[in-house]
Amino acid sequence: MKKGIFASLLGGALFLVNAEAPTPEQLKILKEMGVSPADVIVEEGRDYYHNLKGTTGKTCASCHGQDGANLVGAYAKMPRYYTDIGKVADVDLRVKACLEKYVGVNAKGKKGRKYIVPLAGYVATLSNGMPINIELKHPEEKRLYEYGKELWYKRVGARDFSCAICHDVLAGKRIRLQKLGAPVRDKLYAHWPAYRISKDKLWTMEDRIRGCYKSFFLFNPEKGKFDFKENWVKKPPFYMEEIIALELYMKKAANGAKVEVPGLIR
Amino acid sequence: MKKGFLATLMISAGIIACQPAPQAAKEEHKNTFSKATTQKTSKKSSKEKEFLKALGAQDKWQKACSNPVQVAPEGVDVTKFIEEMKATIKYPADGKLVGDWKKGESLALLPKEYKALYGRKGGSKKGNCYACHCGDPRIIACGNIGPSLRGYGKKGIDPKMTYDRIYNPWAQVPCSTMFRFGYHGLLSPEEIADIVAYLHDPESPINK
Ligand code: HEC
Ligand code: HEC
Ligand code: HEC
Repeated sequence: MKKGIFASLLGGALFLVNAEAPTPEQLKILKEMGVSPADVIVEEGRDYYHNLKGTTGKTCASCHGQDGANLVGAYAKMPRYYTDIGKVADVDLRVKACLEKYVGVNAKGKKGRKYIVPLAGYVATLSNGMPINIELKHPEEKRLYEYGKELWYKRVGARDFSCAICHDVLAGKRIRLQKLGAPVRDKLYAHWPAYRISKDKLWTMEDRIRGCYKSFFLFNPEKGKFDFKENWVKKPPFYMEEIIALELYMKKAANGAKVEVPGLIR
Repeated sequence: MKKGFLATLMISAGIIACQPAPQAAKEEHKNTFSKATTQKTSKKSSKEKEFLKALGAQDKWQKACSNPVQVAPEGVDVTKFIEEMKATIKYPADGKLVGDWKKGESLALLPKEYKALYGRKGGSKKGNCYACHCGDPRIIACGNIGPSLRGYGKKGIDPKMTYDRIYNPWAQVPCSTMFRFGYHGLLSPEEIADIVAYLHDPESPINK
């Protein structure tokens, strides 16, 4: 079903390029062509929202209303602190917590992502058109925001990288043929979660940040200098505080921008 | 044409690949999530600890560069910074700073770039020079973060300068975005000498 739509979408594409990456204009055309394959994934999320049942017998809709009625606008304020779980959660972690705690579905690991990503996509669309509004009211939110800012500038790993080196200093330049965007300066959070055309996948911001950390060549110093086989620490595990801190930093910077998801990326 | 775009669209892999599968979920027992949960939690927290160790491995020079400007050290004396970085540079045991350009080429190119040019195995993830530089005119997918290296060998630059600049760019440009290949052990002294040859040799595609 999903594959079919993707194929027909591509079949109808009329691009005259031989570069590796489509330009933003081409992505726009893809979007204007109508059915985005991302919508199919969001539909899947809507379906889980109303029908997925676990050990408690409840669905998301039992608590949050038909068609996400009580979650309208929630994504625009996330990540934020939640008393029921005692921590700051982004959309991924919040959905995971609800799946495990309230629906009774094992949402660990890769299997969990199968539910979490479409559900996160669906929840995010419920805030479409609304301005991002990160308030930083709770002390934990403030702490994580500051931590996220520190991580944004932190040069570390065997490549001496930081988020800021690529996304502030080099923004607008090309790594190979990939243009480096400025998520903080240009409020790019507004189009996340986004559909990755090259991978035919919906990506949440967690996926994006983990992917970017892979380029750092982080390593465990207890096992000497960087080595591809011995001590390469490729990515932070999902839902780790460090990821949520960076999200808080980037999303606060996007305050005022209207949520427009799912975005479309290379 | 259309097909070409689609194909490149689908196979093009950025420098950033997608994540490997997290440990596959253990066998699942209905109604006993708590058990599965504690098992997985302890596993994950060891991964978290490892990530924190890696983040904690910041050296004092990286720390000095971790400011909003990013490309200028803060809170340290720049002259001293440069001296300390120079002191980290090690040279090949045989003292030869210019090695074999063909080996150097294979270190500078990614495996897929090497294969595209020569139709055989070669290349490496270590150098990745074309992520930031152009140079060999046959490689079109090159970055514009550093200056073009096209014709670099004809500029009369001292090969030792080139060696030092690859071993530890921060000894010349503190906090540069070009990372410290030799200092971090990404490239050995001998490998750096081979890359120096790739940049300087008149027969190298950089200078042809
Ligand atoms: C048994 C009731 C229950 C069920 C079932 C449930 N949740 Fe929740 N959900 C909660 C509670 C409680 C909160 C925390 C509300 C708060 O602190 O504002 C919450 C919060 C959320 C939030 C954040 C809302 C906000 O205002 O920031 C989202 C998003 C969410 N849930 C999604 C889901 C999804 C998706 C499902 C289905 C997988 C689900 N929930 C199932 C009880 C439930
Ligand atoms: C070596 C350079 C590099 C570093 C370092 C880096 N990124 Fe990225 N980032 C990229 C590239 C390349 C892309 C993808 C651009 C594309 O898809 O065309 C990207 C995309 C992104 C995007 C999506 C931008 C958009 O278009 O919406 C975000 C957000 C992001 N990175 C955050 C981060 C964070 C947070 C860090 C630090 C943990 C980081 N990046 C570190 C290279 C980098
Ligand atoms: C992350 C990006 C990056 C990578 C990867 C990189 N460089 Fe650089 N390089 C730069 C930048 C930026 C400069 C400009 C001066 C500076 O900031 O250090 C530079 C400068 C240079 C110079 C000096 C050029 C001149 O005209 O003075 C040489 C030589 C060089 N790089 C060689 C290499 C080689 C060889 C490799 C691969 C082993 C490489 N670089 C990988 C970013 C990079």
